[in-house]
Amino acid sequence: MLIDINAYVGHWPFQQLQYNTCEKLLKRMNQFGVAISVISNLNGIFYKNTQSANEELYEELKSNKRFRDAFVPFAVINPIYAGWREDFDTCINKMGMKGLRLYPKYHDYDITDPACIELVKRARDKGIPVAFNLRMIDSRQRSWMDIDYVVGTPKPEWNLKNILPIIKAVPDAKFIILNLANATKLADEEMALVKKTNLLIDTSGRSINDMGVELKNFGKEKFAFGTHSPILDYVTGQLRIESLYDTEADAQTKELLRSGNAKRLIGI
Amino acid sequence: MNRRKFFSSTALSAAGAMLGNTLAAKTLRGNAAATTEATGTAASYNLMKDVLKYRKLDAHVHVNLYHGGPEENIKFADRLGIEKLFISRPITSGPGTPQDFIESNNIVLKAIKQYPDRFIGQFTVNVEHQQESLVEIKRCVDLGMVGLKVYTQVKINNPLFFPIVEKMADLKMIIHMHAMLQLGLGGYRMKYDTKMRPNTSIPEDFVDIARRYPEAMFQFAHIGAGCDWEYTCKMLKHSPNVYVDTSGSSNDEYMLDYAVKELGEDRVFFGSDNCYYQSVGKVLAANLTETQKKKIFFDNYNRVLKKSGKNIA
Repeated sequence: MLIDINAYVGHWPFQQLQYNTCEKLLKRMNQFGVAISVISNLNGIFYKNTQSANEELYEELKSNKRFRDAFVPFAVINPIYAGWREDFDTCINKMGMKGLRLYPKYHDYDITDPACIELVKRARDKGIPVAFNLRMIDSRQRSWMDIDYVVGTPKPEWNLKNILPIIKAVPDAKFIILNLANATKLADEEMALVKKTNLLIDTSGRSINDMGVELKNFGKEKFAFGTHSPILDYVTGQLRIESLYDTEADAQTKELLRSGNAKRLIGI
Repeated sequence: MNRRKFFSSTALSAAGAMLGNTLAAKTLRGNAAATTEATGTAASYNLMKDVLKYRKLDAHVHVNLYHGGPEENIKFADRLGIEKLFISRPITSGPGTPQDFIESNNIVLKAIKQYPDRFIGQFTVNVEHQQESLVEIKRCVDLGMVGLKVYTQVKINNPLFFPIVEKMADLKMIIHMHAMLQLGLGGYRMKYDTKMRPNTSIPEDFVDIARRYPEAMFQFAHIGAGCDWEYTCKMLKHSPNVYVDTSGSSNDEYMLDYAVKELGEDRVFFGSDNCYYQSVGKVLAANLTETQKKKIFFDNYNRVLKKSGKNIA
């Protein structure tokens, strides 16, 4: 069984996307053997009021019975925008969303902004995970209107270290780190923090050049299948798991990567 | 014929299930354990079976440049069923003296000796040293190398390149040039300094040289290496002697669909640039026909090799 912990519906304003509705994504899932996708609405990155995007997703999910079993929705919350606490409660308690997607760079706040810390603590108290991505797209091919975190400049794309401050601030929360890009090397104490945190990294990111090596570095409980669809191709995240040699991952480990770790963290 | 029927009817897929122990079998069929395990994963899709049913020529891959030595190349080639790797070691730093490029080519030749059944060489030169470059081309061709790989020392349409292009056209071998296009730099908006070298070739440079030398063949490197691939493919659309390779760390959905739409199914090569997972994944994910995927993975580059009699049987 495959659970994709990193998928989206919605639009990317700078480039036309394929497979960006629940219906199209479900066809993609069926084509490539994916049972469940954790999804959020890309539009929530760009709407100032992210709740509009959550409502769009909620309505789309209600529109077809088949979507209920196939998708696990995550809410996009901007903790520096009015009414976010109420939006949080609505998404989790009324809409049944199972986690959060936060975008500090796009929503222009620091990852340790007091409001962000409060939001992550609220998620912790509800037992739901909070997901951050290191990047949405490769900044080398960014639109001139996109955010200006550009590789090779004094304001580069994020790497794993950029997520650590919020983990330090709320170490007992559940975290998901998506689209692992750029440097992954950590100091010993940083790696220790990552290892003791209830945290998952999805398999879509370019920095996973050798899945077997990363399993050794981080541990088999730290990774879960993810596609970053429809921005990245639908197969590569799965290929990193399925092409592992037996000497790199036994059958039990592969099942953890395909779905076991996701089920444990997200509670599905 | 649907996808499942195709699997069951192809010789390779049947052979893939048997999974022999020879190097050749490993090359074509990859990792037996991974294949077996994948069978049990999803009833409707067997990823490793899909991976291993295609013959693959990697038209853009390096040795001893990053991600380890030749053993690392072979480890991933076996894992993903890449049959032959067209390896190079361009000069990515320093002045690029004749001594530098001869040394680089010798590293490639040494790797070929280590894995003669898997590696085929692309030589590198620096056209700022024109006579030495021509001498080096002859040496490398005599030693069995099959194409030119060049980097950012000089733009592809610089007149310094003209004698080299003419030589390569005579040899009926392709010129594989590092390329990039960032809209923020190297394109038309010089807003950010991302440390890109000013002589990096962009699509417009390829259009220019391809028009000047219609008898020559050019490979625009790695449309998946962070360049704006829509811009690139649109720009190269009407340059029939310019091919693109799919390599690079970026594996955007629809990249290859779009390349085939704009350039046609005969001008796209499979390449990894040592980003093996993405390079295979993006082809398999593309909404292309079996024939188109076979062309990308194998036939298109082999057709170019055939012009110089260096094709793979």
